Amino acid sequence: MPISAGFTRICRAKSPSPPEGAWQTLPGVLDHGADLSEKALAERFGEVVLPHLGDALTLARWLTGNAADAEDVVQEACVKAHAGISGYAGGNARAWLLTIVRNTAYTWMSRNRPRGMLAVGDLGDLDQMAAAHGTSLPDEDGPEASLIARADTAALEVAIAALPQPFRETLVLRDINGLSYREIAAMLGVPMGTVMSRLARARSLLVSKLGRAP
Amino acid sequence: MTNHDDGLPNDPEGISLMIHALIDGELDAAAALAVERRIAADPQLAAEHARIIALQGALSRLPRPHVSDVFQARIAALGATATPHPAQDVPTQDEAAGPQRGTLSPQPDQIGVGQLHGTSRRATETRPSQTRILPRARRFGSFDWRALAASIVISAVLASGATQWVMVDNTSDSFAAGVASGHRRSLLAASPIDIVSSDRHTVKPWLDARIGVSPPAPDLAQDGFALIGGRVEVISGRPVPALVYRHREHLITLVAEPQQGGTTTEPEDLSSSGFSLVQWSDGAFSYWAISDMERPELDDFVARFRKAAV
Repeated sequence: MPISAGFTRICRAKSPSPPEGAWQTLPGVLDHGADLSEKALAERFGEVVLPHLGDALTLARWLTGNAADAEDVVQEACVKAHAGISGYAGGNARAWLLTIVRNTAYTWMSRNRPRGMLAVGDLGDLDQMAAAHGTSLPDEDGPEASLIARADTAALEVAIAALPQPFRETLVLRDINGLSYREIAAMLGVPMGTVMSRLARARSLLVSKLGRAP
Repeated sequence: MTNHDDGLPNDPEGISLMIHALIDGELDAAAALAVERRIAADPQLAAEHARIIALQGALSRLPRPHVSDVFQARIAALGATATPHPAQDVPTQDEAAGPQRGTLSPQPDQIGVGQLHGTSRRATETRPSQTRILPRARRFGSFDWRALAASIVISAVLASGATQWVMVDNTSDSFAAGVASGHRRSLLAASPIDIVSSDRHTVKPWLDARIGVSPPAPDLAQDGFALIGGRVEVISGRPVPALVYRHREHLITLVAEPQQGGTTTEPEDLSSSGFSLVQWSDGAFSYWAISDMERPELDDFVARFRKAAV
């Protein structure tokens, strides 16, 4: 797999792709948001955003790598959510907010850490890699489950941080935020099969890393 | 690997994905049973299954970021702040839904950074009032505090004026809000309908039996608007019948409020907050059609319904 600085740009341009479908607002309806009273919008903000702050912080923490930056990202995401609240057309509030948090996290990182983005190659390469390597893994003698269950928090955090970004976000959305495959697919704008293979790949990377630890 | 005829993939990768899906609760009962049988028959698959479970256990023990009271209050203050023109200093709706490359011009960038550095650097300055004023002050460095104070006063007057205007003119507004929130809730519920039927001869008697009124319920399936059922909404403290139509993937809720006045009104657009809402009366009922479709499509539905209901 080619790894070069040149791929950083591709990766960055691709990763915050807007979600397809569900949470996009309808053109023409937006203007009417102004008709709604400030009070109703503030109430809606309270209903839609505030209950999911914990989830938002969790996602931002794993995308940015630390809790302090996570607060900045979530605050910025909430400003956007507040501005866009009149366009929230019902549906899953948590997934709506997490989509904004994810997109904000990537723009935030590209702004504040121009060199911090991992050069991970093209996403297409990753998915091919996931497909290719996934085949061999279940056959090998993997580490004992008990070893993984005992893995300490620090080792796990390091292992997650080391995952390539598309794998990490998929793992975090599923195993830490608890979103369904369908919600993740809608958020990332990828087919469900891609979500499944990224998730399987992310987990097997973690398993092999934790299994190797002394 | 031996071949199975349980409908599951036979390649190692495929069955591995199925094990992940089983653990994630993404399989239906039949597929879950088949995967569990495979796992029981194959020690390698069983070990893989155990490893994933163990990993999930370890992940679930990771500490969660704590939502501090200070942070919660700061975000809650965002919602409470009256921002008559939010679009000026926060990214547009398009970006909230998903940033397009290139929409972040240098100027909003600086504002964003200023805001973050000015307010959220976990310093002791956590008064919510500062979160909005600081970056503005920095951005319009040439403005003095009087201009700032004046703009705040004007904002307050505009906001309270708008609120009052809404309060005065809310006879139909509150009903519209009730229709909208009923529709929103139905989209979140397990099923948007209480009586599932495409047959109006089932839906109408059901509504009659529940609340004693039932609106015309033409099936517009050949026009692309299939009647899929009905439910009872409670709006402004009164039960009212609601019909549910489907157009492609969109649901349309049609609330029919019985009328005493008997006036006939033409369709009126009350769309707001991301939904298209159209209201009209035929003398016997006052109709409210709401959907997340675009206006022209909803207008099409309204026109067809009115033609068929006469």
